[in-house]
Amino acid sequence: MKAVEEQSQFKKAVSEVRQLRKKKWSPSQKKEAMWGLLFVSPFIIGFLGFMFLPMMFSFIGSFTNYNITSRMDFIGLTNFRRMFTQDELFTTSLYNTAYYVIFNVPLTAIGSVFLAVLLNRQIRGIRLFRTIFYLPAVLSGVAVYVLWMQLLSPSTGLINTILSWVGISGPSWLFDPQWTKPALIIMRLWSVGGAMLLYLATLQNVPKQLYESAEVDGAGFTRQFFHITLPMITPIIFYDVVTSTIGAFQIFQEAYVMTEGGTGGPANSLLFYNLHMWNQAFVAYNMGYAMAMSMILFLIVLTLTFINLKLAPRWVHY
Amino acid sequence: MGMKNNKTGLYKLAALTATPLILAACGNGNSDAEDTSNPGSEGASGEQVELEFWSFWGSGPRRDTIEAIIEDFNETNDTITVEYVYQPWGDIWTKALAAIAGGNAPDVIVQDINSVRQRADANQATNLQAFIDEEDISGEFYPQLWETVLFEDEAYAVPFNTDTQVLFYNLDAFEEAGLDPDSPPATWDELEEMARALDQESGESWEQIGFYPRWNIGADVWTLNADGGTSWFDEEGNVAINTPEKVDALEWMLDWQDYYGRDTITQYEAEFGSGVADPFISGLVAMRGQNINYYTNLRENAPDDFRFGVAPLPEREEGSGNWSWGGGFVLEIPENTSHPEESYEFIRYLTSTDVQERFGMNSFDIMANVEANENLADNTELDERAQMIYDMANQNLEQTVITPVPLNAPDYLSLVNTQIDAAFLGEKTAEEALEDAQNSVENLVEQHQ
Repeated sequence: MKAVEEQSQFKKAVSEVRQLRKKKWSPSQKKEAMWGLLFVSPFIIGFLGFMFLPMMFSFIGSFTNYNITSRMDFIGLTNFRRMFTQDELFTTSLYNTAYYVIFNVPLTAIGSVFLAVLLNRQIRGIRLFRTIFYLPAVLSGVAVYVLWMQLLSPSTGLINTILSWVGISGPSWLFDPQWTKPALIIMRLWSVGGAMLLYLATLQNVPKQLYESAEVDGAGFTRQFFHITLPMITPIIFYDVVTSTIGAFQIFQEAYVMTEGGTGGPANSLLFYNLHMWNQAFVAYNMGYAMAMSMILFLIVLTLTFINLKLAPRWVHY
Repeated sequence: MGMKNNKTGLYKLAALTATPLILAACGNGNSDAEDTSNPGSEGASGEQVELEFWSFWGSGPRRDTIEAIIEDFNETNDTITVEYVYQPWGDIWTKALAAIAGGNAPDVIVQDINSVRQRADANQATNLQAFIDEEDISGEFYPQLWETVLFEDEAYAVPFNTDTQVLFYNLDAFEEAGLDPDSPPATWDELEEMARALDQESGESWEQIGFYPRWNIGADVWTLNADGGTSWFDEEGNVAINTPEKVDALEWMLDWQDYYGRDTITQYEAEFGSGVADPFISGLVAMRGQNINYYTNLRENAPDDFRFGVAPLPEREEGSGNWSWGGGFVLEIPENTSHPEESYEFIRYLTSTDVQERFGMNSFDIMANVEANENLADNTELDERAQMIYDMANQNLEQTVITPVPLNAPDYLSLVNTQIDAAFLGEKTAEEALEDAQNSVENLVEQHQ
């Protein structure tokens, strides 16, 4: 009986919706809709023209031997087969990128939360400190990488010089394939300021009374941090982790600049996914293959983001 | 009423969008009128053609020279006007690719000599064979350079300049070590002996390092030098990586690394990389293999009393040949441009002996035109050193190999380099590394078939 009732209710709802749809819009409603569309049109046009169409083109191109200028023949799954069974550098580049993502994402998240907590104090000159820590996030590009190449120089670089003061003889960083990726990860940590700013804003929105009542109950700093601060900022942590995972998979510039025109560094240790893709597209003119690679990257990132979204309810408190 | 309003709006819009077109048309009319009234342009058929020329020479003597050369061309040529466009080194070829694909490519562009075939194969460059058939200019250039511009026996570019790897050595250091400055090392054994004589160790660091083969020259050059001028691919296009001679060469390089120590080498290398001071000019390195164009660096940065000599790269053993490696640039007309004939005329001008000599004289580039280099070697307007450089270059180019990118494995180099790096990191022996590289590249060739 209950099932029948539910069914009839459902039918009723459906017909109501249909009627709503059929209902003609009044001129003022139409006008409003037009204006609305007009206002979002820059985004829609931009998305269609610069994101969706290129992505579709890339999807189609991934099944061809497209080389930009002279050919585009359908070759089925050959590109994908080559990727997974023959191309040694594909595996290398995927490994390098995964390594980078696995360390970079949590470390930058922890680093920026840590900094934000430290800078969320009402002490004298705090604005100055905030500016100092935020500054590297504003600087970017080639100049920063060149600066870091000097900082990381094995014998005269600042980092190894400081290490030598405490008796550690530092590694050759960018010249030793075991240290190239850690060097890059450390370098990226320098610019956690952007995420830090997000956390700082969120921290200031955490209701004061929570801390006050916790203090009354005798909770110390660590307990307050783990039971109030951290849960309260999980939405932003979630946002940060999702976006920085996507960003980390796309690492390119750093390696391109720091390995003499994208050669991949010693023993290909800095040959990241996008760098390999770029080389395939613009050095070997294997654009079809590069498009297939981009599709795989898209799938990987999509899957990870999906997993992230699924796991979110378990630890994100809204 | 509303409809009418809309219509007038439309007309207004149409009028507005048309205005710039009309203005543009007027503009063209004006310039045409000016052209015909210009007393310089003779004959009614002399239609003005504007060419866009792209290169990456953005500053210094190369830019000044090319601009002066183009100015002269424009002055003496009634119908063609060339506009010089500088594109940064890092962007020029990707930009060109996009421009070619988009159908708005420049008329003439300076391109990498090693990838002419790749572009010819991909319809990115105009076939120039019809022009060459009219007047065969191939004999004016070094044969190995001309070879690079041919795809299926037809020319797609004209060589412009080149380079070759030689040995620079510090004359004062030679005298100090009791070596004869007039007889630089001729074989690898002599090179090693002399390097030991030049080495000066002080405690844990070095005051002077005689020679290290991998500084400024790649392992690819020494393996090619050892293997009778055969690069990673032999003449038939087969993969020739794990030949006994190349294994020998790699072992020889590994011995050098063992001698100075890997850490020492990387440390110095990192310092050179940051470009604080040139190690050859500062006297840290007494002999240095490098492309001969390094001379411009010495001219600009070395003190006046800095004395150096140049010699061919030593040969592996007597009679194996002082094989060296070079590169260079060519002039190309991208596919589907509107004025190939005029563009070729401009290319012909840039590669003619006089213009080549002029470019070389100011930039100290080694030119692709043989006669230009010969003239430069005897040109009394140049000082003795510069003449010596051109003389050396001319001589060395007889044993210089150019290694165009193989069409069946355009991306092979990183595979080889991984293995060579593994050898220098001590993870593989020379034999294992080259064996693995051979297999990797053979596998890559298969993928492209």
